[in-house]
Amino acid sequence: MNKPISYQDKHVLIVDDMADMRSSLRSQVGSLDISNVGVAANIRDALELLRHKRFDVILCDYYLGGSTDGQQFLEYLRTTKIINRATVFIMITAETGYESVITAAECLPDDYLLKPFTAETLRTRIQRLMEKKLRLQVIDQLHEKSAWFDIITACDEIIAERDRYLIDAMRIKGNALIMAGKNDEAMQFYEHVISMRAMPWARLGLAKAMDAKGNIEMAKHVLNNLISDSPQLLSAYDLLGKIHTDSGDTKAAIGILDRASNVAPNSLARQRSIAVLAEQTGDFKRVELALTTVLKKTKNSPLRDQSDYAKLGNAYLEMNDTSKAISTIEDAKSTFKGVENLHILSAIEAQALYKTGDIKLANEALERALEGSTDGITDETAFAIAKACLVNGRAETAADIVKHVLQNNPESEEIKKTVCIIYKNHGGDVAAKELIENSTQEVVALNNEAVLKAKSGAYGEAATMLTEAAFRLPNNIQIVANASLSLLADVLMNEMDSSKIRQAKLFAQSIAKANKDHPKLSEISRMIKKIQAKYQIETPL
Amino acid sequence: MSFANIAALTIHDVKNKLASIAGVAESRGDQDTVQAIIEVADTLTRLLVFYRAEHDTLYLNINSHTPEDLISELTTNHYGRADISIASNTNEAPLMWMYDELLIRMILENALQNASRFAKNRILISAREIEAYLEITVQDDGPGFTLNQLVDNDYHARVTQEGTGLGLVLARHIAALHTNNQSQGRIELSNQNGAVFRLLLPA
Repeated sequence: MNKPISYQDKHVLIVDDMADMRSSLRSQVGSLDISNVGVAANIRDALELLRHKRFDVILCDYYLGGSTDGQQFLEYLRTTKIINRATVFIMITAETGYESVITAAECLPDDYLLKPFTAETLRTRIQRLMEKKLRLQVIDQLHEKSAWFDIITACDEIIAERDRYLIDAMRIKGNALIMAGKNDEAMQFYEHVISMRAMPWARLGLAKAMDAKGNIEMAKHVLNNLISDSPQLLSAYDLLGKIHTDSGDTKAAIGILDRASNVAPNSLARQRSIAVLAEQTGDFKRVELALTTVLKKTKNSPLRDQSDYAKLGNAYLEMNDTSKAISTIEDAKSTFKGVENLHILSAIEAQALYKTGDIKLANEALERALEGSTDGITDETAFAIAKACLVNGRAETAADIVKHVLQNNPESEEIKKTVCIIYKNHGGDVAAKELIENSTQEVVALNNEAVLKAKSGAYGEAATMLTEAAFRLPNNIQIVANASLSLLADVLMNEMDSSKIRQAKLFAQSIAKANKDHPKLSEISRMIKKIQAKYQIETPL
Repeated sequence: MSFANIAALTIHDVKNKLASIAGVAESRGDQDTVQAIIEVADTLTRLLVFYRAEHDTLYLNINSHTPEDLISELTTNHYGRADISIASNTNEAPLMWMYDELLIRMILENALQNASRFAKNRILISAREIEAYLEITVQDDGPGFTLNQLVDNDYHARVTQEGTGLGLVLARHIAALHTNNQSQGRIELSNQNGAVFRLLLPA
């Protein structure tokens, strides 16, 4: 069991703001015969090292001197996927209190080390964690592929062996059941775990499965009890907040997140969620409060985000405080000096400058916002640019941008609501509804035209048309599904073309990602079977 | 700022300084000093944990752990007594148990530090499963607990130059926070050719 793992090829990263701690950690790590050691004094240096090399172990001090702490850093690394599940992250802290705040399960460090500790302690801990990673390696790799059914099977094997990783495997299995959409099984599984021991993660999992199943009231009940028993379990607040948000009770959602913020005032993600919710309810004072906290904590840190500045600037515009809006943007511009893509900031700037009456400068800012490619810009950025266009009298450009977002998110009520908000001072609901209607009609017309083409035998043309539209509107499932079907119909009716089949399958995969039970998916696989039969292909396509 | 806040910040600061002194000592190969520093730091940790316990903000972070791992980690130390042997017996230890590893480690470190003060030649730390409890025992061959210590559960004994007795109070508190299905953890003290410290944690 305690077969020593070779450290020779392991890479260790040390992150600590204090020079003497860095050197003593370095010599401790060195005494374990690990020679591949990276040392960083701050997050910026650490990120630079992580960009170039994969590390097996990260030893990070909780206090990093600046505004960002080790937990925020860990959350950032995990959410941006800079490190994956195979990386061991050890948090070094001077107190026992830190770990009593339990954040989201996926953002827990693998272990805590209480200062001071000996090289021998460090060695045993690293060894233990390496053994665990090795045991769970297969499952970690399956996670990269989101192969939930395989993960469940792999967990069942470990559970059957009842080795020391039993509880880890149970935890992973529960989550995989939910991810695989097996909500009934997940509920049963968690009930079973809870009957052995009411572990907080199992109760949280149960609530998650209930929510996924649509048993909202039961989920709320479980979560409220859980929060009163384990007030430090932040992910319980987050889930309850999400349930309130989903059911449209934004106020209650903000209230829950506020309570969580009292437990852990340093979580950036939570403050950002509060800002988003408050923006929806029109409570811009609250947006200001949440985002000034975030800006303070991320100032000059690599964890800073343009969107925070843009949202804050927008909140000031909504509160008619133009000068604060402008100073926020100025602040952002100096913070993001040298960053190429500042579309969203320019869009807010254009609106603010217009309000000050400086039309010329406002137009220049708008040009900057519209500059370059719009590929891959977020809906949030697109809406900010559209708003700037409206304010600056470029209604047509605004309509084009908004239409694209609408057509790309045909099912989203939230997007429609946002469009109404944007057009509040530019024709109001009437204008917004008309735009929404036009957007829908355009897509319907495109679909109909393609169908007619196909009926007249022009399968190739129909496929080209729909494929082009699917690339333009990758989130419009209807279009993507029809593109997939039209490509397959083209192959079925005309000739075998493996590149068309490949594209059709890629489209199908992206549909499955959004909704694996989408009815069009079975239509697509029936079509593939027909092709297989017609061209007498042995191996499955 | 309250006294408690300032105290917490001060402790944090002192521990950082201790860690850096320990680093220097370790790089010189001076393990005795490292050990002494760790004991001082442990005292400060207990003080912080005690404060939290008193204000009902000591939350357990219970997870499944392997007792053998914990015990083998604890026996790599000499607790300032290179002249005694510290043996372990985990043959009958369960593979996994549920507890807050950080706090349980703190309790056992303290028990081992106490035992090392009174032991003549040896200390034995052992773990086994007994009637749905995990039992971890720290045994020494010293003079044993005093009658007062054995009788009174809340006895702040060993308020001597050697220590404050805080460790035992905390150990009882933390053990009792480990509960499951009507069962509760506890500490039992007895004498048997020396002091026997038993920590019992429910399944």
